[in-house]
Amino acid sequence: MSVSIRRPRVLIVEDDPDLLVVLRVNLTAVGLDPILAGDGRTAISRIQAERPDAVVLDVMLPGIDGWSVLEDLHTMGDPVPIVVCSAKKNAEDMARARALGASGYVVKPFDIDRLLDAVLEAVGVRDRRTDIAVEVGLDVGVELG
Amino acid sequence: MPKEKDRTPETEGLRHESRVAGLREFRTPSLEAVERRRMQLWFLTTVTLVFVATGVLVLATWTSMGSVVLSAPAMRLGALAIVGVFCAYVIEKELRLWRVTRMLTDERVLIASLTNRLHEVSLLLETGRALSGLLDRSELLDTVLRSACELLDANGGSLMLVEGDELVTVSVRGREEALGARIRLGEGVAGHVALRREPILIEGHVDPTEFPGLADRRPYVESAMSLPLVHADEVVGVLNVNAAAGRAFTEYDLRAVAVFAEQCAAAIANATAFEAERRHVAELIELQRAEAG
Repeated sequence: MSVSIRRPRVLIVEDDPDLLVVLRVNLTAVGLDPILAGDGRTAISRIQAERPDAVVLDVMLPGIDGWSVLEDLHTMGDPVPIVVCSAKKNAEDMARARALGASGYVVKPFDIDRLLDAVLEAVGVRDRRTDIAVEVGLDVGVELG
Repeated sequence: MPKEKDRTPETEGLRHESRVAGLREFRTPSLEAVERRRMQLWFLTTVTLVFVATGVLVLATWTSMGSVVLSAPAMRLGALAIVGVFCAYVIEKELRLWRVTRMLTDERVLIASLTNRLHEVSLLLETGRALSGLLDRSELLDTVLRSACELLDANGGSLMLVEGDELVTVSVRGREEALGARIRLGEGVAGHVALRREPILIEGHVDPTEFPGLADRRPYVESAMSLPLVHADEVVGVLNVNAAAGRAFTEYDLRAVAVFAEQCAAAIANATAFEAERRHVAELIELQRAEAG
């Protein structure tokens, strides 16, 4: 008889197919259960339907962008932890993400280990690594690249 | 048998779940097939429960008529066991179907993003091919601006080229009076972009303090992009595109058009060099004629 333990579910919201595959493989490797969304609309519907434990959200998306997704979730009062991925590393964007309830902010291009740390911390797994840099008062903030 | 290249852990997992969930076409499962299987399962559940309830009712009537073949407690226990086993079967299958649905949705997301990427690359390739074949500079400049507007679903824009320490508007769509307008490098949004060599995404009203020398043009543009055209480490010009009403450009659009801008810069530099060469040849021919005459 096999016993199955529920793995934390993480929604990856990313329009780049290569990154989607890379993130899926890596999140699976650290014991998470990744699900995918390629645009903002799919992201919102999957968050509502499948209640993931965390979301990795790219801000640069076709149609509804990541900021709009973040705003919608913030307006709905959805408590899901969100790690924002952005190519911009200015303080305004980080502060905006924090104001909209993001639990982490990762700057692209990112080092995969650092991103995994941010995601694991967002889902409540804290013992993988401890060298997470905290930036601008975010619960999980990593300066990457 | 599936081909070796199709045997990724994800597709193998999907095939396994599909097979266990009872999907016959497990090699190529679809969301529609999952829904059909789900409907079959619920139909089977309804029929089984009706059958068991009818059986219990008939047997209960039979025993109340004095039969001793089956006692009432044994009947109840038997019916309960059948219902329990069947419910466990349905729940197990339903969970499998749910997993297959999730995996198929993930596959659809991947396919959609790959399709989008392919579409984007095809468009850029097509435009690049069209641009590289153009050597007439003025035709090329108009084609660049028109293609940018078509790529981005924009309603207007302008193309400016560097001349000394100025930018000259050489092609316009939507605000024809701006043709030939000149600004100094560093002035306004386009001048800023040319000087810094960084693209800018404009959302809402532009703050004039951020861009010294910015002209107060009305009506204001809701959403726009300004990109430097850089070739061989030299700024050739600036491409400005304004979004149509109700459309807001995103960083995604900016990234897509940045690749296009690289191709445009190369094409403009080539056409400019070709034109200079042609002018030079024409001058030499003219000189030769004058000497011969």
